[in-house]
Amino acid sequence: MRIGVFICHCGSNIAGTVDVKKVAEEAKRFPHVVYSTDYMYTCSEPGQLEIQEAIKKEKLDGVVVASCSPRMHENTFRRTVEKAGLNRYMFEMANIREHVSWVGVDKEANTKKAIDLVRMAVAKVTLNQPLFPKSFKVNKNVLVIGGGVAGMQAALDCADGGLKVILVEKNPSIGGKMAKLDKTFPTIDCSICILGPKMVDVGQHENIKLYTYSEIEEISGYVGNYEVKIRKKATYVDWTKCTGCGLCMEKCPSKKAFDPFNEGIAPTTAINIPFPQAIPKKAKIDPNYCRQFIKGKCGVCAKICPVQAIDYEMQDEIVTEKVGAIIVATGYSLFDHTKIKEYGAGKYLDVITSIQYERLLNASGPTSGHILRPSDNKEPKTIVFVACVGSRDKSLGVPYCSNFCCMYIAKQAILTKDHIPDSQSYVFYMDIRAPGKGYEEFVRRAQEEYGVKYIRGRVSRIFKRGDKMVVRGSDTLLGTQVELEADLVVLATGAIAEEGARELAEKLRISYDPYGFYIESHPKLRPVETNTAGVFLAGACQGPKDIPASVGQGSAAASKVLSLFSKDLLESDPQIAHVNEMLCVDCKKCIQTCPYGAIEEKKTPMGKIVASVIETVCQGCGLCTATCPPGAIQLQQFTDNQLLAEVKAFFHA
Amino acid sequence: MTDREEKISELIKNELNNVDFFIAYGRGYDPIHVKPLFVYEEKDLDDLVMNIFCVHNNASYLKTVKDKKVGIVVKGCDSRAVVQLIQEGLINRDNLRIIGIPCTGVISIKKLKEKMDISRVTEAKVESDSVIIKTSDEEKRFEKDDLLADKCLWCQYPTPVIYDHLVGETIEPSRPKELEYKIVEEMEKEDLNVRFEYWNKELSRCIRCYACRNVCPMCVCQDQCVMESRNPHWISLKSNITEKVMIQLIHAIHLAGRCVSCGECERVCPMDIPIFKIKQKMNQIVEELFDYKAGIDLEATPPLYTFQVEEAKIKEREW
Repeated sequence: MRIGVFICHCGSNIAGTVDVKKVAEEAKRFPHVVYSTDYMYTCSEPGQLEIQEAIKKEKLDGVVVASCSPRMHENTFRRTVEKAGLNRYMFEMANIREHVSWVGVDKEANTKKAIDLVRMAVAKVTLNQPLFPKSFKVNKNVLVIGGGVAGMQAALDCADGGLKVILVEKNPSIGGKMAKLDKTFPTIDCSICILGPKMVDVGQHENIKLYTYSEIEEISGYVGNYEVKIRKKATYVDWTKCTGCGLCMEKCPSKKAFDPFNEGIAPTTAINIPFPQAIPKKAKIDPNYCRQFIKGKCGVCAKICPVQAIDYEMQDEIVTEKVGAIIVATGYSLFDHTKIKEYGAGKYLDVITSIQYERLLNASGPTSGHILRPSDNKEPKTIVFVACVGSRDKSLGVPYCSNFCCMYIAKQAILTKDHIPDSQSYVFYMDIRAPGKGYEEFVRRAQEEYGVKYIRGRVSRIFKRGDKMVVRGSDTLLGTQVELEADLVVLATGAIAEEGARELAEKLRISYDPYGFYIESHPKLRPVETNTAGVFLAGACQGPKDIPASVGQGSAAASKVLSLFSKDLLESDPQIAHVNEMLCVDCKKCIQTCPYGAIEEKKTPMGKIVASVIETVCQGCGLCTATCPPGAIQLQQFTDNQLLAEVKAFFHA
Repeated sequence: MTDREEKISELIKNELNNVDFFIAYGRGYDPIHVKPLFVYEEKDLDDLVMNIFCVHNNASYLKTVKDKKVGIVVKGCDSRAVVQLIQEGLINRDNLRIIGIPCTGVISIKKLKEKMDISRVTEAKVESDSVIIKTSDEEKRFEKDDLLADKCLWCQYPTPVIYDHLVGETIEPSRPKELEYKIVEEMEKEDLNVRFEYWNKELSRCIRCYACRNVCPMCVCQDQCVMESRNPHWISLKSNITEKVMIQLIHAIHLAGRCVSCGECERVCPMDIPIFKIKQKMNQIVEELFDYKAGIDLEATPPLYTFQVEEAKIKEREW
C-alpha cells in the first residue's frame, strides 16, 4: 500500500503543544507510508488541494489526516480524497486536537501520544476496504411530534413547502404552553390572539394530518423510511361527529374534574373542551372523574349530545404512519415546587406557580382575568415573585438556567400593576438575565415605570401568618435579612424536561443530556439536527428557550427536512454489519441482541442457515459484532482485525 | 442391573420409536470409568449403567445434533444445559425426550486419584455415605463427600429442572448455597500479585488442546471457534502465557450469562488447570448484576441476549 499522512497544525491549536514536524517526520517510518507532511490548516482549501495533489503524484491508496475530531471534518476529508479518485473509506483520521493538544500541556508527552495515534490510524487504514453506499427511495412525509408553537411552526413550514405532515400532540388540543399564557414579553401581545390564527392554519391545512390526544407508541426504520405507530387515546367522544357545541359541558354533573389547561387552579367538568380556541374543538371525557366510569351510571352527556357522539366503550386505537423524517418538538415541563419544603411544598393555597398566575391573569381563565387569590378570592395588594425556583440550583439537580423566567416575571409584575393599580410587586432574584432584543429595556420599565421592587437574594422560607404569606429572604445588596408580608406569592418554577422525554428519545434513538433535554448534533453548527439521520429538534425539548427562539428552531428544522427531501434518493451508510457466512454458526445471538431488528436468518445456496443483515435497517452500532462468538459478523470499517491492528500498532511500537 | 437402571432401560426401550437415538451412560473400561452410551437399538442397552461415576454432561452432544430427534438421560446439572440451549433457540424442545435422574452427586476421579492408585480397580460400590473401591491388592473405604465433585457440594438442582420422565423421587436441595462461590471468594482474599502469579503458573501448563471448549455444552461455534481463527485474528498460535490467558478469558466471556456450572471444562482438562474458577467468577458477576442463573427457566431471556438502554444494576452514568 501507499499511504499519505497529513499532520495539521490547526493554527496554534495543535502546533502549540505538539511538535507537528516531528510527528510528520516519525510517520515517514511507519509501514506503507510513502508521503508525510504538515500544514497550517489541513481543512482549508490549499490544505485539501495538497492532499489531492499528493494522492495523484504519489499514487496514494490510503490517506491519514491527523487533526481534530472526526465529528466535524471526517466528511470534509472523505470528500477530498473522493474527488482525487480514492474511495472515501480509504481514509482515517487521528484526533490529535481534542485527544491530545487540548487536554495535555506537556509538549513532549503530547508529541509522543500524537505519534502513537498516527501510527494506529496508519495501521488501521492498511486494512480499510473500499465501501460503496447504496441508494434508496425516500418517503417524503414528515412526522412532527408535539403541537406547541415550535411544532406548529415546523408543521406549517413543511406543509407550505408541499410536504405531507403528520402532527402528533399528546394533549386534546394543539397550542402547547403558549396557549395558556396571557401576554407575551416584551411586547405585551395577547398570546392566544397571535397563536390562535396559527392554530387554525394548522387545523385547516390540507397537507397536515392532525392526531391530537395521541402519543408515539413505537418508531422503527431509518431516515427516509420510518414507520411510526401512534396511539390514539380513547376520548370516549366520536370526534368525527362532535361539533364542539359544548352542550355536554353545560350539563355534565361532575364539575370537580382536574383541569390541566388551567393548571388545576379551578376545576372543570368531566367531559370538556380544554379551552375556547382549542384545535380541534372537540370534547373528551376524563374517566377519572366521569360518573359513568366511576359509578357506572349517569349518561347525561350521551343523552344531551345532539349528534350522538358519546361512546363510553371507546378503546385506544393504534394507527401506523410512514414518514421519511421526524421533527421532535415535545417542549418542556415545569419544576414541581412541592419538592421544596421551605416554600410550603404546595400546601399553601396562596403560593402558586407562575403558569397558574398566567391563568389568573388571562381573560379566558377561571377568574375572567381578575387577579383573585385562591384562598379567599380577594384581590391581592402585595405580590411577591420568587425567581429561580428549580433553576440554577445544584442541590435540586437543576443547575442550569431556565432562560425565560426573568422575562416573564417582569411581564407578570407589569400586568399585575395594570390589573390592580394600587398593588405593589416584589421580585426576589439571583441575577436578571435579559439578553434578548428589547428585553433589558422591558425589565427596566417594570422597575422604573411600574415600581416593581427587585430584591437581589434568595428566599429561605415561606410561611403563613394570619391571612398573609410571609416571605423571608436575604437582600444581598444591602447585606440584610428581609421579611415581607404578601397576599400572594408567585413561584417562577423552572423548566425541566418533559415527562417521558427520555423514553421518547430511546424510541427515536437520539441522545439526551443528564436533565433529559435532547442533544443536538453540534452545539454551534448543527443546532436542530440530532445524531440520528432524519430526526430533527425544535423548541424547548432541546433546552429551555422562549417563544421567538422556539419558532426560529421550528422553521430551521422544517428547512432541514425540506432540503433533505429535495433529493428523491438517499445514500445508505455502508459502515454497517456484514456476515461472513462461512464462519456463522447460526447461534442467533446477533438476532436477539440487535436493537433495530436488522438481522434475520437466511438459507445459503449450500443449505446452511446463517444470519443476514438487512442493510438499510442496520445502524452500524456494532452490538452484534461484540456478541458474535466466532467473530462472523463484522462492522465494516470497524472490523476486529482493524481494531486489533490499532491495538497492536500501539503496543508493539 | 439395579432397579433404577432397569427402569431407565425400560423407558428408553419405549421411547426408541420416537427418537433417532438416545444418549445415556454405559459401562467403561473399569468400574469407575463410565462412558456416554448412544442407544440406537434395544441391544445397546445391555451396557447401560446409572451410578455415582456418571460424570459426563451428555447435553454437550445436543448442539451437534440440532435437527435430529434425540433422547437424553440427564442429571440435575446436565438438565440446566438442556434448558439454556432451548432458551437460546439452539435446540428444539419438541425434538427432545428427556429422562431426568435425581442425583446426590458424582465422584471426582481427580480427587480419588489423589487418594489411591486407581490403575487396577476391580470393583466400586456405594454403601450409604461411603464409597468402597477395590483393586487387586487393596480395598479402600472413603467418605462419599470427600470424593464428590466440587460442584456437587453446593448443588442446588439435584432434581433435573426439565424432563419427560423422572426416575426416582424428587430430591430437595440440601447442600449449602453459600459454598457456590467460595472458591472465587477465597481466591479474591489473596493479593493481586499472588493471584497473578497463581494464574501465570496454572495457565502456563495449558497445551492448547481445547478440550475445555470441546466438552462445553454451550460452546456452539465448534470449528469456527475464534480461538483458532485467523480472521478475525484475535489469538496467534504462539505458545505463550498471554495467548493462553486470552483463550480462557474468551471462553469465560462467551459464556457470560450462559454457563450452567457443570464444571466439565475443568474435569476434562488433561493438565488439571482449575479453569472452573474463572467460569464461576463470571457466573457470580452475572448473578449479582442480572439476578440470573443460566438454564433454570425456559421462559427467561438470558441477560446478554437482549438489549436494554439502561440496566438496573449497571450505573454507567455514574462511572
